[in-house]
Amino acid sequence: MTFPAYIPVLFLAPIFLSLPIALAWVYRPGAAWARKLPILSVLGLFISLIISLYILFRVPSESVTIQWLPGFDINFVFTFDYLSKYMGALTAFIAFLIGVYGLEYMKDDYRLGWYWFFFNTFTASMLLVVYSDNLLMLLIGWEGLGLASWGLIGHWFRDDDDLSYVGDSKRRIGPLRLFWSPTTGGWRAISTIRFGDMPMFFAIAAIYALTGTLDISQIPWGDMFQKIGIAGTVILLFAFLLGPFTKSAQLPFSEWLMTAMTGPTTVSALLHSATMVAAGTYLFMKITWYIKPWELEGVPGLEIIYLLVLFLGLISALYGALVATGLLERKVLLAASTMSSLGLMFAAASTSFWLGKIGLLVAFWYLMVHAFAKATLFLVAGHLIHVTHSRFCEGDLELGKKMKIGFGATIIATTFLAGIPPLTAYWVKSGMDELMVELIHDVGALPLILLIAVSVVYAAFLAKFLSLNFIKGTRPHHIDLHGGQLMSSAYAIMVSLMFVLLYVIIREIDPSTSTFFEAGLEKTSFLVGIAVLITYSGGLIMPRIRALANVGFVLSDRLYLPFLNDYIIPGIGWVIASIVDHANRGIDSLFHRWVPEFFERISRDIRKLQTGSLPIYIQIVSGIIIAILIIGALMGWR
Amino acid sequence: MNPFLFFGILLIPFIAGFIGPLLNPKRATVLSFISFIIPFVTIVYALIGQSFFGLRFARLPEPLGDFYIFSDSISSAFGMVVALISAMVALYSYPYMKHRFEEMNLNVKKEFRKYVFLYQFYAASMLWLVYSGNLILLFIFLEISLVSSFLLIFMYGYGNRRWVAMLYFIWTHVAGALTFVGFLVIGFENSTLAIKDIASVGYIAWLLIFIGMIVKLPGLGPHIWLPWAHAEAPTPVSALLSPLTVGLAGYVLLRIYLIDSWFIEAYRIPIFAYAILTSVYAGFSVFRQTDYKRLLAYSTVSQMGYMLIGLTVGTFGLMGLVIQYISHAFGKSILFMTAGGIIASYHGLRDLQKMGGLHEYIPTISNAALVGFMNLGGILTVGMFGEFFILKGIVDVFGFNLWMIFAVVFVFILSGWYSFYTLKNIFYGTPKGMERPKINRLLDTPLYAIGIISIAFIFPPLATILLQGIKIVLGGVVP
Repeated sequence: MTFPAYIPVLFLAPIFLSLPIALAWVYRPGAAWARKLPILSVLGLFISLIISLYILFRVPSESVTIQWLPGFDINFVFTFDYLSKYMGALTAFIAFLIGVYGLEYMKDDYRLGWYWFFFNTFTASMLLVVYSDNLLMLLIGWEGLGLASWGLIGHWFRDDDDLSYVGDSKRRIGPLRLFWSPTTGGWRAISTIRFGDMPMFFAIAAIYALTGTLDISQIPWGDMFQKIGIAGTVILLFAFLLGPFTKSAQLPFSEWLMTAMTGPTTVSALLHSATMVAAGTYLFMKITWYIKPWELEGVPGLEIIYLLVLFLGLISALYGALVATGLLERKVLLAASTMSSLGLMFAAASTSFWLGKIGLLVAFWYLMVHAFAKATLFLVAGHLIHVTHSRFCEGDLELGKKMKIGFGATIIATTFLAGIPPLTAYWVKSGMDELMVELIHDVGALPLILLIAVSVVYAAFLAKFLSLNFIKGTRPHHIDLHGGQLMSSAYAIMVSLMFVLLYVIIREIDPSTSTFFEAGLEKTSFLVGIAVLITYSGGLIMPRIRALANVGFVLSDRLYLPFLNDYIIPGIGWVIASIVDHANRGIDSLFHRWVPEFFERISRDIRKLQTGSLPIYIQIVSGIIIAILIIGALMGWR
Repeated sequence: MNPFLFFGILLIPFIAGFIGPLLNPKRATVLSFISFIIPFVTIVYALIGQSFFGLRFARLPEPLGDFYIFSDSISSAFGMVVALISAMVALYSYPYMKHRFEEMNLNVKKEFRKYVFLYQFYAASMLWLVYSGNLILLFIFLEISLVSSFLLIFMYGYGNRRWVAMLYFIWTHVAGALTFVGFLVIGFENSTLAIKDIASVGYIAWLLIFIGMIVKLPGLGPHIWLPWAHAEAPTPVSALLSPLTVGLAGYVLLRIYLIDSWFIEAYRIPIFAYAILTSVYAGFSVFRQTDYKRLLAYSTVSQMGYMLIGLTVGTFGLMGLVIQYISHAFGKSILFMTAGGIIASYHGLRDLQKMGGLHEYIPTISNAALVGFMNLGGILTVGMFGEFFILKGIVDVFGFNLWMIFAVVFVFILSGWYSFYTLKNIFYGTPKGMERPKINRLLDTPLYAIGIISIAFIFPPLATILLQGIKIVLGGVVP
């Protein structure tokens, strides 16, 4: 049993180095010396970063096995393939940078032990998900993600700071108050994720029952699908994908991501935009990579699932983009846009069924571009919240001048992410356009139309975000600029990665980028790029249109989807719980009141007869004899 | 491993039951802890060695047969849990019962003597139960555990404790009597009651044992005794009653299944449906409870439904059953101890409506409750394997039956939901301006010890040893 020592260190370093602060906070919360311990946690993240970079550049593509349940043929299998190498490095890098940012952002927090423990546990879990080849082992990481997400969303459990809420305290629709506390956000996140995780867990168990192995790269996917037929394939894959769908907040599971913005901004940046929510799309890409659906044309049922993913992704993307245009809360706007991007990743990845591996590559590169840009935007938003003490978009050029780095980073991140030629996301988006154009032959033109619609709306709200926070927004009531060096250097480094990615794509350093780089030189892609540029400029000049305020309200109420989570499902649950409660009372009364009372009464009546007076006994005896005689006579006894 | 040595070690808790009352409460607690932790270490060692052995101490006439005790991986899996939880609860008992005696205006030293004696007999009889090789022997230990726990509730319980104790006594003895008659029928049919010699279990016997154990487990309907008993028992007793005692009904069913499984196979679908109904019903009941300990009792009913599900879905289901017992025992003992921690800190606070934001004042107990609920939900703890094997069993036995899959998945979802819903209601939200109590370290440290072990069990080497051992024992049952 030999394996390289860096593998356990990769996961254990962040967790163990966060224990000092966690324990310190249990026994001496708030002590001055304890506030220095987060440096150790960040050191743990740094160790993970070094190891993941080592894996990216130095370790050949292979898998490493550690014995776990050898009798069941289930083991810890770490795989270092194209996807996991990049994704691991990306996760560790962003986690480390946000960790550094968090040193300053969370400096005065009341719950540092909790924060760092879950932050680092999250990073370890995410790395476990990324590198694992075994589905059961992946599930450990997956559950860790859900738990860390719950812990960090509900971080400010006291629910006493308006700055940590989501929604407007005055906004009501019918019975609903559109205002959510951190504890509600946490509960909603874990309950939604649980709803998807258990079907996924079933699918994993079913795969094991059918094939006897759980290693993604070893499962005979094609044979398995043939064996279980069309209905089986659809059930199995749909159950499996409920995990990624809920984790990646696709419709109708998107509400939790919006209320997840009750967590600290660092958490929103790392978990709820760059990495954890992307784990759903990543897992979909990963299994598709090994299912190789493009080689399984004849397998029934598979096309249904890929069509479902394609349209669910595109519709969620459009929904998210539209909602984002209506929203005015900094973080919730970005959350809606994250959901939109995740939808695009699903859609692009699903095209691989018809078009081959290229779909996965485009989706994966979009994931990376999106991760850096969106993390930057979130970090800037967090800094803005610190400076202005407001969750809502506000800020004019004055503020822009005072926060030059933040302003610059936002400009770069929005323009590079929108898909304006020739900036980074443009090349990846062109790849997507190309995929959808090719899909016209198999599926029709609808995906292309949806994609273009998403792209133009997306650019508009990105520009709106920039404009309302730094250029044309209202003047903030409150500006508090002291400190912030660590925060601004973190997002400055983060945004510079956009240039690195641009360089990698244009110079074709990674050979697999060449396919979509060429798509960027096509005329159609360029036209879409121009359309995007136009809406971006439009959003910049007119961030708010008064005439459309009512439409804006409908959009920022998220098309009334909160009713599902806040009203319909709890309502059903509450009705059942009441019925059950009444049944319990009934059973309780039956066994513990009526039955004992019944026996008590009989016993009392019998005792009543026993008075000790002879005439009564004689009466009873003669009565019984008479009764026997009568019955005997009636039955014909002679 | 030498069987004499092994069973000598298992005798330690009984011996400590006689020595403990002679010592002062502190020393008695330490003795009690040691008397269970030594068996725990020994059992883990036996599990690592995968050793199987038996030790006969009497050969009795028909229909009793051989009296012997034996160890295999299943006994060890159950025994390990019983020993560990008993040891940890023993530590916890000291500060808690001291508080309880003072609250009842009793003499602490004097009462602790009685308590230690009963506690040792209660816990040790459960430990011996899982090693019993004869059904009558098993029944004797079952009775000892019932009588001693009855006395503990009767003397130190809460609320209307005498009434609740009687209720507990009657219900468990209905269960016990049915099972006993079932055992006797087995004995007359097979002319022996030694587990290794029984050839078959007839219809009447199976039916009686099954119904008896359903009352004890409990299933839907008879479940109504459990919230009373678990809520009003003194908390250390609840922390053994719910995790260990009721689940042992699952152990008895498993043993009978391993002898002759025809009954479960013949009535698989109705039993499965009943199990699902129990779980879902109890799961929904949890949401409406306002008393923390009653809430936990309903969650126990829901979790026992898992064990019954496991019983009906083949070999892997049985593995699920064993692991579910372990996982539930870890989780529920932690949770009952957190309930006790709140009771001890806030003068008997059990009403959920008066809680909220408690994390502010008792963070260590709150975090322990998180680990406890993770165990119930199978999140990052050994319960994960339980769920996994039950799900695999379902596919093995029923194939892709959409309704059954949906039902079981929903059961699992529901337990996650009520877990985090309860956590939110009790520990998070705006603090209610209470005082920050000083918590005795024995009221929270044992909880973390159990929690860490429950997490360690999903990683090698513990997971490897445990699952491998159970697989070997169950491997021969159903091909």
